[in-house]
Amino acid sequence: MCEASAPDARPFLEVSNLTLQYKTARYLVTATSNIGFHADSFDRLILLGPSGCGKSTILKAVGGYIKPAGGEIRLQGKLVTKPGADRGMVFQEFDQLLPWKTALENIVFAVTSAGRLPRRQAVAEAREWLHKVNLTAFENSYPHELSGGMKQRVAIARCLALRSPVILMDEPFASLDAFSRSAMQEELLSLWEENRRTLIFVTHSIEEALILGTRIILFSSHPGQVRAEFTPVRRDTAQGLRGKEVRERIEHLLFQDRVDYAI
Amino acid sequence: MPFEANGRARRPENLPGGAPPAEAPELWLDAEYGITRAGSLPDLRVHLSVLERLWQVAMVRKGCIVLLLALIWQVYATLLDNDLMFPAFDAALLALCEAVVRGELLRAVSASLRVLAAAYVIGVVAAGLLTVFALTTRFGSDFLETCTGMFNLLPAIALLPLALLWFGLGYPSIMFVIVHSVIWPMTLNIYSGFTGVSKTLRMVGRNYELSQPAFLFKILIPAALPQILTGLKIGWAFSWRTLIASELVFGVSSGSGGIGWFIYEKKNQLDIASVFAGLITIIIIGLLVENLLFNVLEAKTIRRWGMKSC
Repeated sequence: MCEASAPDARPFLEVSNLTLQYKTARYLVTATSNIGFHADSFDRLILLGPSGCGKSTILKAVGGYIKPAGGEIRLQGKLVTKPGADRGMVFQEFDQLLPWKTALENIVFAVTSAGRLPRRQAVAEAREWLHKVNLTAFENSYPHELSGGMKQRVAIARCLALRSPVILMDEPFASLDAFSRSAMQEELLSLWEENRRTLIFVTHSIEEALILGTRIILFSSHPGQVRAEFTPVRRDTAQGLRGKEVRERIEHLLFQDRVDYAI
Repeated sequence: MPFEANGRARRPENLPGGAPPAEAPELWLDAEYGITRAGSLPDLRVHLSVLERLWQVAMVRKGCIVLLLALIWQVYATLLDNDLMFPAFDAALLALCEAVVRGELLRAVSASLRVLAAAYVIGVVAAGLLTVFALTTRFGSDFLETCTGMFNLLPAIALLPLALLWFGLGYPSIMFVIVHSVIWPMTLNIYSGFTGVSKTLRMVGRNYELSQPAFLFKILIPAALPQILTGLKIGWAFSWRTLIASELVFGVSSGSGGIGWFIYEKKNQLDIASVFAGLITIIIIGLLVENLLFNVLEAKTIRRWGMKSC
């Protein structure tokens, strides 16, 4: 498919020896220590792990919202130091849409703020994106008039409209009901097929990871460390682990961790 | 498969979250039911009668209460029959109309509102600057919290003696106390509005690489608008009360008195119906600003955006 791109010495996104810390009133807490992984262009990389393993924090560090205490993150060889429109982000929270702007204006604002397009073209393009997520009828609705799933669809459209080479998603479907959730997963996959980018997706659901990912990085908690890396096989090949086996292996790995902490 | 054996079989039962999931039972579809379409049911929505609909309007219900109070006033004053101490409602209304026709009342109101507007604008701008100061430095936020903590408790009118000493009789003194009455509650509200802006929205703003001013005007201010409007409203209420009170105290000196001075003068002339007319005017102006200005502003912004429930 996209094998045409020249082989690079460096991976597209490279996270090396990443240590993240945060301060509470009493302690300096190490959330993740010495994490390393990489992603190639057009990967759908899943950061999977139980709550508290620091996967969201890692994603925010890749986004540039958190400064690493150690290690570095490089995107196309360039050091990540601050947030940027080259890494569009979709959050878990429904309040990520600007409540004072309509669905359409939220997308227009993203496109014009990042300086990609003048307003008129931005409006036309925002309409296209809303059409792609089946929300044309709601372009003039304010976020509070939309359901949770619709809000997340607008947020995804807004993020894709930025046309950033990397898309970061922080459990965007975690607050949705099971029906919307699986519908959104399929929608995301078909959007990705139309517009290939590098997707980094955080989730705690093994099922979601298996549906969405081309690669999975499994984290253990306290502090977050890479526990395993998976590349789920394509259905048509007979080699490697099948979906069910990957799931069992992941459950086994996480379960082993739990034994370590049970005492 | 080596790990298949390790999977569920080895899971001890007494570990937290370690209970093996029960095998999903096979379900049997027992029955399916048709549903009735909304069209074939009796009307789900029935229109209310005109009277019932009128009663749903809060303004109508509250207007009825005002009428009731006016009626009680009228009946009591007629029974009392003492125009000097407690003139009847109709006398007060008549005095109000006469004062309006003479132009006296409107002059007083415009004099009051001019002072108020000037002092209010100064107070709002100062509150904005103080907030920026508090947001940018830790000393600033400590300073703000300490000052609002202390001065919010100090009724503006209590500063009048000092104001008189410093600025003399007249409008500068009134402005001083009004600015004091506006600035602290305003600052407190704007500041808490800004600090309360959700982390997610801040990150969204940073994602688009907004410049500092753009971040302030396009993210922070709209996101904090509910609290900013509350601050403006409280500031207005405080300043309006303070204005009337301070005019009553030392309007005596200034030739072109405001509405407070109007009341004070009429009391000296024993024209008590006009005193009531002055009080009614104060209420009417207060209601107009609150209901027309602020409510319309809220309806057009934060309520439309779902940032404040009705």
